[in-house]
Amino acid sequence: MPPTVTSTGDQHTLPVPPNLQKLREIYADAPEMGRVALDKIMGELQAAVRSQQKAATAGRIGLRQGKVSELTAIVKLTPGGAKRLRALLDALGNNFQGADIVGTLHDMRFVFLDNDTKLLFATAYDGDWDPYIDDFSTKIPDALDVLFCNAEGYPGMHSPAVRDWIADNQITADAWYVANPNLTVSETRRLERVGKAVEELLDKIQ
Amino acid sequence: MSSTTMTQAKKGSTHSADAEQKIQAMRELFADAPELGRQALENVLRELASDVSQGQHPPIESAGRTGSRLGKVSELTIIVPLAPGGAKRLRAFLQLLGGNVNAGKVGTVHDMRFVFLDNDTKMLFATAYDGDWDAYIDDFATKIPDFLDIIDSAWEGWPGIRSPHAKDYLAKHQVTAEGWYVAHPDLTVAETQRLKRIGKAVDEFLDKIGG
Repeated sequence: MPPTVTSTGDQHTLPVPPNLQKLREIYADAPEMGRVALDKIMGELQAAVRSQQKAATAGRIGLRQGKVSELTAIVKLTPGGAKRLRALLDALGNNFQGADIVGTLHDMRFVFLDNDTKLLFATAYDGDWDPYIDDFSTKIPDALDVLFCNAEGYPGMHSPAVRDWIADNQITADAWYVANPNLTVSETRRLERVGKAVEELLDKIQ
Repeated sequence: MSSTTMTQAKKGSTHSADAEQKIQAMRELFADAPELGRQALENVLRELASDVSQGQHPPIESAGRTGSRLGKVSELTIIVPLAPGGAKRLRAFLQLLGGNVNAGKVGTVHDMRFVFLDNDTKMLFATAYDGDWDAYIDDFATKIPDFLDIIDSAWEGWPGIRSPHAKDYLAKHQVTAEGWYVAHPDLTVAETQRLKRIGKAVDEFLDKIGG
């Protein structure tokens, strides 16, 4: 049984559980700032370790928190790839209609790295990896081909090799936090409509 | 025809002429793309044309000092070098937390990820948050400084969040996204929280009048 925390003031005097003791040992060679901070939040950390929902796997690769998963990939760009991709993003003016069509994307970013030789692609999406990739390849294969034909080794969204290509370039996060892990994109949309309807209702009965 | 309609019509045509130009430029750029890409481009061009001219989404803006913002939601993407031993410590910390660093206290964080890169020599930190850069960094510094110090004490050259150089360090390692999509650009974390409460209240209300 973990010791009961009675008040914030008592936390420092409580016995430190073995897993936190181990972390303290690992932090022994951290800069002072880190060691001090760790000691200060020991109590809070104990509570977090006990109560916090842990990240789960999103399936083949990536982390999931509740209903929301992360995909983080870094791909090498072909010569001229960055130039084309940049022009495409500019022309789109961040109007990613395709992402709306997929309907399970919370957010998505494209970041050029290392003098335009690499691209970081990171998304927050609903559910598991396999159906997510399926959604992409069935709903917006052309949009994806236009984007990722600028990456080295991209086999095309219709190729059976595309899943391996994505997984090979994906890097699973070591930590993943979502503010509302139980809200999918479509549930949030429904709540938006409910909120609007309630406002209209209140306006009418006033 | 009213003058308002005139202006709108005029705006519309300028917009699509601009779109035409962009599409033409893109065709030229994609001339030396792999065949797969050229074909796909042709397939999406019509769609793209309407996308470009419709402009139904808010335009992408700056999140302040650095980063992009769409509507109310901004992106921060930062890659920092790790100090020797830093990755080991950080990984132990994140593992202990079960891979979930709760930023609920900050109140403006939609999502946040920590990813180790290049054989643990670098760390990618990417988040979606509400509002502008300066206020966001201030929030982290004032609301969860200790959590932040445990994490950032693994970074090479980090001056500490209380240092006047902290913001310069962050800005220096941040890379602004050139493409940024948010499904609900008008919803802050707080507004989503409010909608959740309304949704729950409505469900309860409907239950009561239904039963």
